[in-house]
Formats: sequence, structure tokens, C-alpha cells
Amino acid sequence: MSENDPITLEIIQNSLQAAADEMFAAMRKTAMSSIIYEVLDMGTGITDAEGRIASSGAGIPAFIGVLDKSVQFILSKHDDIRPGDVFITNDPWHGGVTHLNDLVLAMPIFAGDQLIAWTANIAHNSDVGGMAPGSLSGEATEIFQEGLRLPAVKIIREGELDEAVMDIITINSRMPDFLKGDVWAAIASVRVGARRLEGLAAKYGVDTFLRAMNHFMDFGERAARAELAKLPHGSFELSEEQDDGRIFNVKVTISDDEFLVDLRDNPDQDTGPTNANRDGTMICAQMVFKALTDPDSPANDGSFRPLKVLTREGSIFDAREGSAIGFYFETEVRTYDLIWRCLAPHIPERLPAGHFSSICGTFIGGIHPDTGRQYTIVEPQIGGWGAWEGRDGNPCIFSGFHGETYNTPAEISEARNGLYVDRMALNTAPGGEGQFNGGRGLILEYRIRTENGFLTAGYTRSRIKPWSLEGGEEGSGNFVEVIKADGNAETHSFVSGMALTTDDVVRVITSSGAGYGDPKARDPEAVRRDVKNGLITAERAATIHGVTV
Amino acid sequence: MSNPIRRVATDVGGTFTDLVAFETRDDGTMEIVTAKSDTTPPDFETGVLNVLKKGGIDPETVNFMAHGTTVVINALTERKGVKVGLITTEGFRDVLEIARGNRPDFFNLHYEKPAPFVPRHLRAELPGRMTYMGEERAPLDLSGLPEILDEFRAESVEAVAVCLLHAYANTAHEKAVLEEIRRLWPEASIVASHQITREWREYERTNTAVLSAYVQPVAANYLGKLDDGLKSQGLPKSPYIMQSNCGVDSLAATSDVPINMIESGPASGFWGAAELGKLIGEPNVLALDIGGTTAKCSLIEDGEVRIMTDYWIERSGKSAGYPIMVPVVDLVEIGNGGGSIAWVDDFGKLHVGPQSAGALPGPAAYGKGGFDATTTDANLWLGRINREYFCGGEVEADMKAAETALTAVGEKLGVSTDEAAQGIVRIANNNMVNALKLVSLNRGHDTRDFTLLAFGGGGAMHAVALGQELQVKKVVVPAAASVFSAFGMMMSDLRRDYFVTQLVDLKEGAGDTIEAIFAEAEGQARDTFEAEGVDPEEVGFLRYGKFRYQNQEHTTEVQLDGPVTDADLDKIAQDFHEAYEREYTYRLDAPVEMVGIHLVARAEVGKLEMKPAEMGSADATTAHKGRREVDYALEGKHEADIYDGDKLNPGMAFTGPAIVEDSGTTIVIHPGNRVEIDAYRNVHIHIGN
Repeated sequence: MSENDPITLEIIQNSLQAAADEMFAAMRKTAMSSIIYEVLDMGTGITDAEGRIASSGAGIPAFIGVLDKSVQFILSKHDDIRPGDVFITNDPWHGGVTHLNDLVLAMPIFAGDQLIAWTANIAHNSDVGGMAPGSLSGEATEIFQEGLRLPAVKIIREGELDEAVMDIITINSRMPDFLKGDVWAAIASVRVGARRLEGLAAKYGVDTFLRAMNHFMDFGERAARAELAKLPHGSFELSEEQDDGRIFNVKVTISDDEFLVDLRDNPDQDTGPTNANRDGTMICAQMVFKALTDPDSPANDGSFRPLKVLTREGSIFDAREGSAIGFYFETEVRTYDLIWRCLAPHIPERLPAGHFSSICGTFIGGIHPDTGRQYTIVEPQIGGWGAWEGRDGNPCIFSGFHGETYNTPAEISEARNGLYVDRMALNTAPGGEGQFNGGRGLILEYRIRTENGFLTAGYTRSRIKPWSLEGGEEGSGNFVEVIKADGNAETHSFVSGMALTTDDVVRVITSSGAGYGDPKARDPEAVRRDVKNGLITAERAATIHGVTV
Repeated sequence: MSNPIRRVATDVGGTFTDLVAFETRDDGTMEIVTAKSDTTPPDFETGVLNVLKKGGIDPETVNFMAHGTTVVINALTERKGVKVGLITTEGFRDVLEIARGNRPDFFNLHYEKPAPFVPRHLRAELPGRMTYMGEERAPLDLSGLPEILDEFRAESVEAVAVCLLHAYANTAHEKAVLEEIRRLWPEASIVASHQITREWREYERTNTAVLSAYVQPVAANYLGKLDDGLKSQGLPKSPYIMQSNCGVDSLAATSDVPINMIESGPASGFWGAAELGKLIGEPNVLALDIGGTTAKCSLIEDGEVRIMTDYWIERSGKSAGYPIMVPVVDLVEIGNGGGSIAWVDDFGKLHVGPQSAGALPGPAAYGKGGFDATTTDANLWLGRINREYFCGGEVEADMKAAETALTAVGEKLGVSTDEAAQGIVRIANNNMVNALKLVSLNRGHDTRDFTLLAFGGGGAMHAVALGQELQVKKVVVPAAASVFSAFGMMMSDLRRDYFVTQLVDLKEGAGDTIEAIFAEAEGQARDTFEAEGVDPEEVGFLRYGKFRYQNQEHTTEVQLDGPVTDADLDKIAQDFHEAYEREYTYRLDAPVEMVGIHLVARAEVGKLEMKPAEMGSADATTAHKGRREVDYALEGKHEADIYDGDKLNPGMAFTGPAIVEDSGTTIVIHPGNRVEIDAYRNVHIHIGN
């Protein structure tokens, strides 16, 4: 039996997937920051020698399309790439793609003198310097205020740590021990993957190994094209108002061999930190494309070959170098939702009604009253998802940008952060009703235990609510409320560095998903069950569903 | 034969109830009896009594009986438990439904989150709060409880689960709720989270309490009827019940917290592997159990199985599943067994499993209308399984059906029937190799230091190929490999695992604090054992601390010897650094903290001791029954010697290519492998790296 037979290729592909998963597990278990080990705001992947993504680990879909771009940048910048090297980057104009908190580490894999692949990972680090604790500030107007920029440099040279680079990184952080621990976790992870890949290449031979990677990508492309052919062809357009009054526009053109997303007609870039760069915008389109064409198999370079994205340099979706980008994710989740919404009425069997669709990034910090150490909460929130024909939406899961991501248990949060979690409950505010209801959002209350704390938050889908389908109701909207110790309450969707003190309560409120179909058409049995479960009041049920309980 | 000791293990599975009995005579010689009869739901005890009768075992003469059952896992997966009401801390009744918010199938916009086992209107709250340090922040207010229970009764709730915030740190509030419910509603089945686990994470603990309550009446009823049935036939002492932590526990204790039985089947096999490894001088074992629908594997180091509380049911790449925070042997399970179906996707890629043909229709070669090619069909086609002796000669292999099924796979792949069959075996092997790597190489264990021990109906068929790939020391297939799990049950101790979460900084005074946590848990263990008639002096302990670098979350277990004092702290930190570096390739110069303890308490309750037999001649010709062509996939076709497994005696030796077959097992021995039969009739295969 030949070494290039389909079974051997299949075995190598399975082993690449196993290696990416193994890298993910290693990082999760060794990280210092809860945003990495608990929330799992991270991703792992393997690229071929040219930096095309061959396999990706678990984690979050929004990170899968990052690592190839990072490796491609490293390749374009460096001539002297040697076995044992590890590179680090975080700058979106130097292969970093997202924002400065996300450190990407990448390790070249060699068979003898030949570069055959890369292992890489990305993870959100708690603090990389900049003007505000946690490095993210709504006040930032240029990237220099958002932390230390790492322009794809070597941190390990032929197996030896470059102490100078590590020192510069750690001294720039407010939480140097965390950062150091997390960088080491990332190094361990790329090395674990490297060992596996070297073993595979040695066992099957370099040619077979390379052939397997190409084969896998061609397979991804075939899968994508086969589904593309089944989508309705034509041009679809949408203009959507945002919470801040701006209008975002998209035009999607689907043909036999191309899925073209045109985002050129959009506002100029922002002076604040909500800009996205072109690579990031590409990822938004990739996620919708993958969900539409082949949600079941792992993504690789081939999966995205039929996709083309047009942007305009200097626009919010393609900001120029030097712009502030800390809150890029809230703009990108809007882009993702914009493309989804544009197509949903035309492809309802593949696309449910709108979900809470915000990262709801929530940052709370201060001094732990029991340990005296600094704590920082950096967390995305969970919320309601939209309904589709035949099924109510899911309550309280992460947005489309996150995936195998976990919320933080109240018991762990109280111990680690030295605050109280007063409540963690479903949000039963009206909204999201339909023949099939949107899932419920979240209410999460943090009670602060010491002085000198702060809150930063950036939520969208607050004023402009999750969109319904076929006559359903909109979702209820995302907000953060602060109930001061004196009883005064404020409601926000964007807040930066707000001072918090003892007995202030931060109430995170996330939206329900949107409904599908006329609420009056809902099965009366289902309405009675909703009322019994306290998900809707009898009065609201009578008004909106026309069912008396 | 004046006073033989009779030990019996019965195992109730979905289809069959198995029996294995060991009779040890005064002179040390042993006799083994096995029997099988149908499982008889809902009166499972009937099946147990039937199988005893079939095996000729009079319950009056049984000295020790161990029992394993799938009743708990079946009640959960088939949703056949009772209606549960849940009581939580005020503000947290929705935790059960919120869960952890993850979307494992992340590109799928139609993902369906698993529904909670208790609907919202049966989830009630009580005011009162503890802190993470176990101090009372707000007093418990029980005034609303009578109304909650009235509502539960009106809704025909049969079992109540209680889980309060931080009950792992201080159980007082949960105990008070428990007591008050017992007073107000004595007939109800009740469980509080601290009775099952003392670890943090409120969703996992709440779900654990709920699933335990859900199966409790079902399991208690099952165990009660079993006990009554056996006692009425004269069994002198209640059977011990196999647990997921590789120990047995008393029937009474199991009735209180039956959720601990959830993975008793695999646990008994892995425990058997650990004990057998010690017996044959191979304490480092990679254990592999291949059944009809799945393959499970676990790593045993220094004779110790690894017990964890990170266990989930129905969890996959497609679903978040449900956590159950009970001590379960650390295992990886994949959908690859003898009945796993081979299929080709729309893009010409071959897959094996996780779908299984089950017992009906079964593999195509069963001739019961199965059209799908399975791993078993491929093994038959390649001559690895004897087509004249299929299922111990009980089934006539329908080779026409197997050929049709395999040819269909080959056509979709564009290859011959032979190549399709080889491909199926290679893909199945690769799936299993990846699972074995997860428990070994991924955790920093070098497989070259381990012996691969393979059992279950299909373990021996694939073991050598896997062992060669992983370069293990050698492969061992135990005698009676197909009923090996029952063997494990008889080797088990009475065992309980205690996990307690408590944060301790490794600084001055920590020694006393750590010692106090162990002392409390050990006191509790001794009391529990004593209440069951076990001499507290006979209880042995193994102590593990769960350590991490400050600010990390995941912990590494380090074994601690003797009473802990401040003088040991440096050594403990050193042991942690070493264990950590082995698993993760680096160490940090950062403070180390303890997050909690894991205490193993165990006492022997009449476990089986194996006696070696006399070693005889190396000549194996008396067991030789012929030759046939066998396709070894990667190593091509060879004329193999066929041996009758029942006739292999201690001391015999031969060299592959060969096949060893008995009624339950086929061992595939590759060209060049050296084989020896040891004094316990285990088959040792040296793969010669």
C-alpha cells in the first residue's frame, strides 16, 4: 500500500486536528488569566509552510482566521527563520489582526532544513500596558494608548528565551506575573504542537505530510463550493442604523464560484477605539460564510477560497495604521451580524433570527479586599439567541463570536475577585416573542466590596435591538446598570473607567434573542408553559400572544 | 475440597447479565465459572438470580459478592428518572439553565443547548448566604420552605435536590435545609450537594445534585429489590456495589448516593488492569477496553488509577452535555468498537464510527439485515477473525453480506474490497491511537515505559497494531479478556474518594492547615467505614494535594506522605514543580498554592488473590489448530499459525504471524512478535522495537 493512499492522508489529517486540540488543552491548563483558562478567549492552529491555515483547535470561531494572517506577516518580515524559534506579535498592522491584548505566538516547524509548517496560538492577555488597567479604554484615540506594540519579533531564538524581549513585555504590564505566566503557557502550547508535527513528518515522510495538508485544504474548498452552489444566487443589500446613529451598508453577491461581500460604502474610521482593520473584517465574512456552507467540519484555508471581501481604506472596517482598535470586536460583531441579517430573509433555513449579538465586554477592576492583590475581570457575556422555524432560541449562550467559551462561576468569581455575585438569572424582560420565541438573556449582579474600583463596558444592540424574522418581536436589548450605594441608578451601553466603591452594584443585562413568526400564532400550550415558568407575565401573554392564562 | 471460598461478580448490562465466579480451594487451586443470561427489566433481580442458577451457584455458599450495573447511566440517558424539585440560594435558581454558556459546535447557528433536568417553575430559592471562606454572610431563612414543598407536592415531585452557594466551604445551611425538608416531608427522596461533593463551581455542583436526585428513587428501588431477592435465596451478606472510582461500596451507602455508580462498568475493567499489572510486575499500564460500540482507555501509573471529578454525560463536539462532579476513573472514550459503521462522506473521505450497528442488526456478517460495513466485517474479511468460528461458533458468518457491504465502501473510495477493509482497520486503529495519546503522550508520559493491556471483546484484535505505533514495552492480553471487567470487581477494595476545595497559600503555618483538612476528611472516612462494620484500623489512606501556581485555575495532583508540617512545604513545592514541568514542559518561579485535597480511603473486603500456576514446556503444538491467510493491513498478507486460546498453558511460547482464538476473544499477533504465556495464563506479546 502506497504511503500516499487516501487512508494515510486521512490519518495525517486526523492527527493534525488532534495536535491542534492538544495545543489548546495545554494552554488552557497552564494559563494564569481567567480570560484564557476559564473564558477560553483563545485559539490554536496549524498552518502550512506558507502560512495557510491547515487545522484549528477548539475555542472561538473569531480567532480561527487570525493565525494564518499572523504567520504570513512573519514570513514577509523575516528572512532568518530557524528551528526552535518562536515569534510574538500583537499589532494589527504587523500580523496581529485583533487588538493589542491578544498575543499571537507562532513557531516554525522544520524537517531537516526544510520549513514544513507552523504551530500558532492567540490569547487575550489581561494587561499589556497602555492608558487604562486592562489596556482597553473607551477614551483611546490612537493605538499607542492601548498598550505595548509587538511587531512580530522573536521571543525564543533557536530554543533560547530572549530575556530582553520578555523583560520589555512584562515591565510594560500592570500584571507582570500574569503576563509572564500566560506567555509561557503559549510557548508550551506551540512546542507541544511542534513535537507532534515533527513526529508525523518523520513517520510518514515530508512529501506525504505536505501532500496531506494540501489535500485537506482542497477538501475544504470542495465542501465550500458544493454548498455555495445550493445558495440562492443574486445580489442582496442591507442598510442598518447603529446605536450611535451611523448607518452601515453591505452588499452580498452570490454566484456559482464566488461569495462577494462589499463593505466599501461605509463611514470613515472613528477617532475612538471601535475601528476594525481589514484582516478583522475578512474574519467576520469568513464566519458567516462558514456557517452557511459547511458548519460541520473544521475550517481550513480551502474553506474560505470562494470568499471575496471589498473594503475601503480609511473606513471603519479598514482603519489606517495607528488608529485605536481596542474595542474592534464590537464593530466586528456588528459586521458579522450585518451580513447575517442581510441574507437571513433569503436563506431562513440556514439563518435564525438575530441574537443578542454583542460581546458585551465587561471590565471590572480594583483591589481584592481579602488578599490585597489587584484583580481584573475581563469577560464577554452570554445572552439570548434568535428563534427559527420550529424552535425557540437558546437562552444564555455566548455570541456568534465566541464558541467553546465558558462563563465564570459565581463561587470562583467571589474568591478570585473579592466581590459578591448577588444574582445570576434569566432576564425575563418583554421582548423576543414570536410563534417561536427568542431565548432569554442574562441578569448578572456584581456587588463591589472595596473603594477605588472601576468599570469599563462596551455593549451594542442596546438602542437598535436584535432583529426578528417573519413578524416576530425584537429582542430586549443589552445594557449595563450601575446602582450606587446611595440608591441612584444609571444605565449605560458604553462606559469607560467609571469609579466604583463599596456596595455599588453593577448589573449586567443582556438581550433576549429575537422572535420568529407572528406571536399570535404561538401554540397556546407553549404560552401556558412560559407563564407557568415565569418567563412571561399573564398580562403580557394576553397582549402579545392573545392567550389568556 | 472442605471449605472453598466463593467470590461472585454479577454485571447487569443493557442486553445481558454476566456472571463470573472464582472458587478458591484450601490448596490454593482455583476454578472459574462464567455464565450469561438475559437482562430482565424492570425486575433486574430476576436476571441476577437466573444467572446465578445457570452458573450453578447457590447464593447460600457465596462468601463475597460484587455487583455492577448500568441502571444509573441508563436512567439518565433514557430520561427514565423521577420528577425533581430544586432548591437554591436566592438569586441562583436559573444557574441550572444558564449552565456555562458554551457553544461547542460553534459554526452551527442551529446549535441546541441541552435542556435542564428541572423546569423553571420547580426551581425555588431560599435567602441566606455563605462566603467563599465559609463564613455566614446572611442567615438562612427557612420560612418560605413549607410553601415551596407544598408546590412540589402539588406538582408530583418525587425527589428534591438542594444546592446552596459555597456549600463546599461550609455545609451548615445545606444541612439545615436538608433537616427541615426531612421534618416537613419525610417520604421525599432528598439529596444536598455537599453529600456528593465538596468542590466549587455552582453549576456543576447543582447539576450533580439534580441528576443524583433524578436517579435516586430508581436506583434505591433497584438495589432494594436486588438485596431482597438475593437474601431470600440465602445470600448471607449484601452484595458490594461497583463504583465509578474503581472501588466497591456497601449497598446501603450506594442507595444514598447512587450517582457514584455512573461509570462502574469501565471502572471495574481499569481497576482489574491496575491489579493485574501489579501481579505481573508491570505497574505502568495503558489499559484499553474495546467493546461493541466504543473503545475506552485509561493510564495507570505505579499501579494507581487516576480518579478525577471532571466527568460529563452527553458531551461532544455537538453538545455541551451535563457535568456530574463525582469521582470517576480518568478515561477517554471514543465511538470506535467492533460494531462501528464505516462510511464515506460526500467528499470521498472514509470514516469509522461513531455510529454503531449495535446488537441488532449488528455487523453485516451477522446476516440479520445489517447492510453497513463495520470494523468486525473488515476484520472477518481480512482473515483476522475466523469466519468458521465467528462469535465462538455461535453465529454463522454471512461472508456474502460482509463482502457486499465492504465492496460498497470500496466503490465509493475507488479502491478494491481488500483495500477498503484494510482502510477501515487502519482508520479505526488511528482513532484509537489518538485516544491513547490523549491519556499518555499528551500528559507527558512516554508510552515506551508502559505496557498496553487490552481487553473487552475487541481489544486483542487491535492491540498489537496500536502497541507498535505507540512503541509500548509490550502488549498483554489477560486470560478471559472478554469478562475482564468482572475480574476487576473482585479485585476491588471498599473505596471512597473525598475531594474538598480549600485555598491554602504555601507559607508559614500552611502545614498545620493542610494537615487539619486531611485529618477532618480522614475522621469522616473512618466514621463512615466503622458504621459499616469495618475496623477503623484497617482503613488505609492515600493523600493527594491539588496544587497550582497562584492565579492559575487548573491544578496538578501531588501525592503527600505522612502528616504534613511546615517542614514539608519546600519538598511539596519541589514535587509540584517537577510534576508540572513533566506535564507542561516548563516551570515558573511563582508562588504555589493548594486549592484542595483528594483523599482516597480504602479497606479490603475479601478481595481475590491470584495464585500462579506451575510453568510448563514452551512447546505450544498441543494448542496449535491450523494455519490460514491473514491480512495485516500495513504488513500485508501472511500465512498465520492459529492457536486455541483455551489450550494455551503457562510457559508456552511461539512467534507471530499468529492468531489466538477462544470463544470470546481473538488475538491478532503480527509477524515477528514473540509470545509467552505467563503463570496466570495471560498472553504476553513482545513487539520488538
